[in-house]
Amino acid sequence: MTCELTCTTSLLLGAFLGTAAFAQDDNAVTIVLSEELELIDPCMASQSNIGRVLLQNISETLTVFQPSTAELLPKLAESWEETEAGTWRFKLRSGVSFSDGTPFGASDVVHSLERSISDQISCEIGGKYFGGFEIKAVAVDDTTVDITSDPAQPILPLLMSSLTIVPEETPLEYVQTPVGTGPYEMTERNMGTNIVLERREEYWGEMPAVAKATYVFRSDSSVRAAMVEVGEADIAPVISELEATNPDTDFAYPNSETTYLRLDHATAPLNDRRVREALNLAVDREAFIGTLMALEAILATAVVPPSTAGYNADLKPYAFDPDRARELLAEAKADGVTVDTPIRIIGRIGLFPNDAEVLEALMAMFQDVGFTVSLEMLEVGEYNSYYNRPFAEDRGPQMVSAQHDNAKGDPVFSMYFKYGTEGQQSGLVYPELDEMIAKATAATGEERTALWSDAMTSIHEEHIGDVLLFHMVGFSRVSPRLDFKPTIATNSELQLSQIGFK
Amino acid sequence: MKKFIGQRAVASAISLVGLVIMVFFLSRLTGDPTDLYLPVDASLQAREQFRELNGLNDPMMVQFGRYVADLAVLDLGMSLRQARPAIDVVLEGFAWTLRLACVTMLLVTFFAIVIGSLAAFRVGGIFDRIATFFSLIGASAPDFWLAIVAIVVFAVNLRWLPTSGTGTIWHWVLPVSVLFIRPFGLILQVVRGSMIGVLSSAYVKTARAKGVRNRPIIFVHGLRNGMLPVITVLGDQAAGILNGAVIVETIFGFPGIGKLMIDSILQRDFNVVLAAIMVSALAIFLMNLLIDLAYALLDPRIRY
Repeated sequence: MTCELTCTTSLLLGAFLGTAAFAQDDNAVTIVLSEELELIDPCMASQSNIGRVLLQNISETLTVFQPSTAELLPKLAESWEETEAGTWRFKLRSGVSFSDGTPFGASDVVHSLERSISDQISCEIGGKYFGGFEIKAVAVDDTTVDITSDPAQPILPLLMSSLTIVPEETPLEYVQTPVGTGPYEMTERNMGTNIVLERREEYWGEMPAVAKATYVFRSDSSVRAAMVEVGEADIAPVISELEATNPDTDFAYPNSETTYLRLDHATAPLNDRRVREALNLAVDREAFIGTLMALEAILATAVVPPSTAGYNADLKPYAFDPDRARELLAEAKADGVTVDTPIRIIGRIGLFPNDAEVLEALMAMFQDVGFTVSLEMLEVGEYNSYYNRPFAEDRGPQMVSAQHDNAKGDPVFSMYFKYGTEGQQSGLVYPELDEMIAKATAATGEERTALWSDAMTSIHEEHIGDVLLFHMVGFSRVSPRLDFKPTIATNSELQLSQIGFK
Repeated sequence: MKKFIGQRAVASAISLVGLVIMVFFLSRLTGDPTDLYLPVDASLQAREQFRELNGLNDPMMVQFGRYVADLAVLDLGMSLRQARPAIDVVLEGFAWTLRLACVTMLLVTFFAIVIGSLAAFRVGGIFDRIATFFSLIGASAPDFWLAIVAIVVFAVNLRWLPTSGTGTIWHWVLPVSVLFIRPFGLILQVVRGSMIGVLSSAYVKTARAKGVRNRPIIFVHGLRNGMLPVITVLGDQAAGILNGAVIVETIFGFPGIGKLMIDSILQRDFNVVLAAIMVSALAIFLMNLLIDLAYALLDPRIRY
């Protein structure tokens, strides 16, 4: 009876499902991601889940930023120079071909830029990096391209580290099979199941060690961690802190995210500097480290991580001083500031591990010094209506719990949006700060670094822009058979060429 | 019979129309998807462009009119997330869920009927007590807990089975087993209860008196009459899995319709939500029709 059952069931299952072999080659890797790639178009590669698969693996850029040394290195462009204000000339690498066999040239760069900013397609790269100014590219000859921006963008070569280059034949609609000049091409895509990249033997650069990479998707962190543990996968770029318990395979790495509470400087009582200082002094930041936050998290004094140009290492986080906070509140109250007005903390469900607990603890700390604070945890769509402009007129005082990611090395990707009076997610309203940001945005070299440093110092010390909390860390699990260590860039890209075998 | 099927089809079509209208407007009340699709630091111009491109700037009734017009030519629109026809996305997911549901329900039906019938044969016996104990545990154990425990025990510690995914027959063992447990526990109880009633009825006693052996009494005389209430529960459980075994699909990385539906709701991918609901509703309509037909097959007194 038992044999009958087993045999019947096996036959039934076998006939119904079919079987497929699961083999792992010596120079192949399997990477387990937390979410499926919805789109696989190169102009969406600034989304971290898409970037991890595409960036520098399939799609290359003219330049590439190296966070460890803060250097901008050549990639598809061999060199670049500013020929006149706002115009940069890029000399392109010759002898490069796309994975579909077509040669790479200046017209491809022109098309890639036009496509990313076209109003016929919603490209994230265009919206994120090339919004708010005019930009156009002109092919001078096959290997030379002039890119002009208005107003002039001194960091245009750095911006070009975001523009993924596609062949000029690429249509304006989203593509399902990405074509690029990178060392890999996509050879298989099974929706919902996996994506396979294979090494291109005709790649122009150094041949990477990994010949084949298979990406699979599991949303549960414990499953991702288990897959690396049992050898079903080689890299899980993101696992939860709870799973990261094996020092031989698990790495903590700065993930370029900064956690903070955005203060609404336009509404009372948050428009009073003493109130904002009291909020900062009320927070015992150290108490979170190693408890609700990872041991490796760093106390923040700016919205960008320490690897960013202009980061002022001399700034100190606000000390935990509840008595001083109470004094400041009393002073403000004596001057007629409505310090008793209820303030809402707006949180986003699932923004970071333990987010609700962190916000609850913060709420208790604020209440302890005399604030009237409530907490609302919202789902992402509703949360974004509080996070982005236009803000509601009758919103009342709010502190929005937020995270900001800047691995690009320059504060320009953060400062206007976060602190400009008209900035998309800014709670600040200071014309003098707008001027500082505009000056720093237009400056170059050491002057630029100094101006950014001044702006960040002013935000932290004079304006007390936010309640800055932590520079965050992420956790990865990597198979012992690989020679690979996650870096700050792993959050948004995972270059297969950086993976070796032991 | 044809008339019955026709009436059911018309009733289901009316329900489907109501469902589509309700979901269309309710889903749009959840908010604008623009913020979810563009980076948080996208410019206002880029946001406006996205809304214009996807018709989100139009009044709700205009959007609905456009949807109905497209629906009339069987165009269910494009997925915002995947930039391909919503129906293709949904049918791919549904195919996975259908396979998962079929394998699970075949096993559930077979084992629940055999074990439930045997348990009913000697009520209070050792076999009955063991079967009842485990079926009650099975019916009450939460899926997510079972799934994680199964992975830890069978994949991580014992290394007998893969943790998750698809590809070989072994990949199906854990998800099917986890999905199996709850309906198995429930249906076993229904089979047992129903069969206890049937086996104590007069015609079974007559058969026994005539010297008919146990196996034909249970599986031939008893089962046919004992199956009517079982079929209803079987249908409910199968419909539950067909609607999406969300937790099992999520944990084991099965790209089924349940996970798709949840992701699409969270991402405000309206066309996929609507297409998924239509496909699920049609599947449940067919399932209910099959159950009704099975009733007629088992009980000659039922005529449509």
